[in-house]
Amino acid sequence: MAENRLLDVVDVHQSYGEERVLEGISFEMDRQDVKVLVGPSGSGKSTMLRCINRLTDIDEGEIALDGESIYDMNQNDLRRQVGMVFQDFNLFAHLTALENVTLGLKRVRDMSEPDAVEKAARQLESVGLREQANSYPAELSGGQKQRVGIARALAMDPKLMLFDEPTSALDPELIGEVLEVMRDLAEEGMTMLVVTHEMGFARQAATDVLFLEDGELVEQGPPDQLFEAPEQDRTRDFLGRLTSLHGDQ
Amino acid sequence: MTRSTKRAVRDGALAVFWLWFGARLLNDWFGGVFVAAGEPFFDPQPVADASTALREAVAGTGVLGEPVGWVANGLGSLSFAMTYLPDLAAGAWLTVVLTIFATIFGLVLAVPLAAARVYGRVTHWVALAFIELIRGTPLLAQLFVLYYALPLSRWFAAVPYLGSGIVPEQAVWVAVVGFTINSAAYQAEYIRGSIEGIDPGQLVAARSIGLSRVQGIRYVVMPQALRFAIPSWTNELVYLTKYSSLAAFITVGELFHAARAAAYANYRFLDLFLLAAVVYLALVLSATTVMEWVRGRVAIPGVGGSGDGRMSAD
Ligand SMILES: Nc1ncnc2c1ncn2[C@@H]1O[C@H](COP(=O)(O)OP(=O)(O)OP(=O)(O)O)[C@@H](O)[C@H]1O
Ligand SMILES: [Mg+2]
Repeated sequence: MAENRLLDVVDVHQSYGEERVLEGISFEMDRQDVKVLVGPSGSGKSTMLRCINRLTDIDEGEIALDGESIYDMNQNDLRRQVGMVFQDFNLFAHLTALENVTLGLKRVRDMSEPDAVEKAARQLESVGLREQANSYPAELSGGQKQRVGIARALAMDPKLMLFDEPTSALDPELIGEVLEVMRDLAEEGMTMLVVTHEMGFARQAATDVLFLEDGELVEQGPPDQLFEAPEQDRTRDFLGRLTSLHGDQ
Repeated sequence: MTRSTKRAVRDGALAVFWLWFGARLLNDWFGGVFVAAGEPFFDPQPVADASTALREAVAGTGVLGEPVGWVANGLGSLSFAMTYLPDLAAGAWLTVVLTIFATIFGLVLAVPLAAARVYGRVTHWVALAFIELIRGTPLLAQLFVLYYALPLSRWFAAVPYLGSGIVPEQAVWVAVVGFTINSAAYQAEYIRGSIEGIDPGQLVAARSIGLSRVQGIRYVVMPQALRFAIPSWTNELVYLTKYSSLAAFITVGELFHAARAAAYANYRFLDLFLLAAVVYLALVLSATTVMEWVRGRVAIPGVGGSGDGRMSAD
């Protein structure tokens, strides 16, 4: 296995009861890859992400992080190594921005209070929220909330970051600030798997775009190839529609 | 009346009540600081005499004397209250003890019960069975079982210092056990309701950073659920203050028991129960005032519903 390989997803099948959601998904990610996952609603994008940090269990197939099956790892340890950012932020509503970030540092990584606070403050600063450290989620804008969400995940020093439509719940004028943080993160070399409709981000930051439909990976490749010369008509149709809806950012 | 004047009137009345109540307990526990233990602070006899004198003065004057008759009646009631309030104070103290202990111990049991009810697998059924058993049977029956059928009071009888000085005697503690169990079941249901009202995404997010399920419940779900439960918790305090009168049936000399005992001595049942009702009212108002304060203290914008006025638009 390649030295640089971080994630292997091999022939993954998943279903909710009778409903089959993922039907044989395979792809891999090297370190520093930024892959964008697109597909129609209900195609299984969120489910795919949830399988990677075991918020959902798979029926068949294999997922390995750093060459080790995620089912051989301690579940909480896996989740610490895989950060997740949610569409509706899911910030801990009763904690300040700073406390949202320190909770995991203190309770999962066993850091002392002063160390956790120091690290969390730096993390918030890196997403441009030094001023808002002591604000509660209800006092933040959507874009600020999502940046806290990103800081909270990053603070655990994950190897891989999963983003599930991080800008879909945001007002248009707030999308840019979140995408900017994500672009910076990509440039710093974070490995990222991003579900998004923001095609501008995909063109600029993605190493690959993966097109998922009906639980199957229809096509994957570098953004230029998928946008300009897709092999499948389905891909062309879908990406064409997406680009007209969510142009460049 | 504006909101703030209403509040001022309430706070003023409560201040008078607690000043009296505190002085009364202090006096009676420490063997007569101001007056002999159990004696009225001010002699009610002159007031009673004045009432009688007034009534005699206007006797036979018909309609004209009626307003004076009302004053006489008022003075009569006052002297009556002055005579019996010391008895009721001793009972009210036990009511307070029962309510506070049962609510706090009940909360301590209710939190794990509610968590088990929502998140447990086997424990879900255990919690459910307990809650339904307790909520489905009369409180009085539960007290009788604890007091007469179980050896609880014998165990408590073996505990030193119970029943000496200001420490209430064993029947009170049996009642505390009973009300605790009962209140735990109801409080667990309130808390379960608030847990279920919390976005499941909160626990998912907790899990996603590597917190265990128990940690997620402990650090993320519960702090929010308990804040949402404060209004129902206030209700529970109010109910318990009044339901604690059932302890009278297992010999606890709480407020209702004290009023009834005094009434048997003079057969003025209505007067004494009205007087007890006033004391209950003061206790209930105190409970809601304290909870209002607690709610303000732990308020977080966006958590626990209205009251802070700082909710965001989304
Ligand atoms: N917890 C669940 N229980 C049962 N079915 C589910 C659950 N979560 C998702 N599904 C179903 O699985 C399918 C795939 O859902 P998923 O959320 O992965 O799609 P998605 O591609 O992320 O869609 P969207 O773009 O709307 O977010 C859908 O049909 C959905 O109804
Ligand atoms: Mg989704």
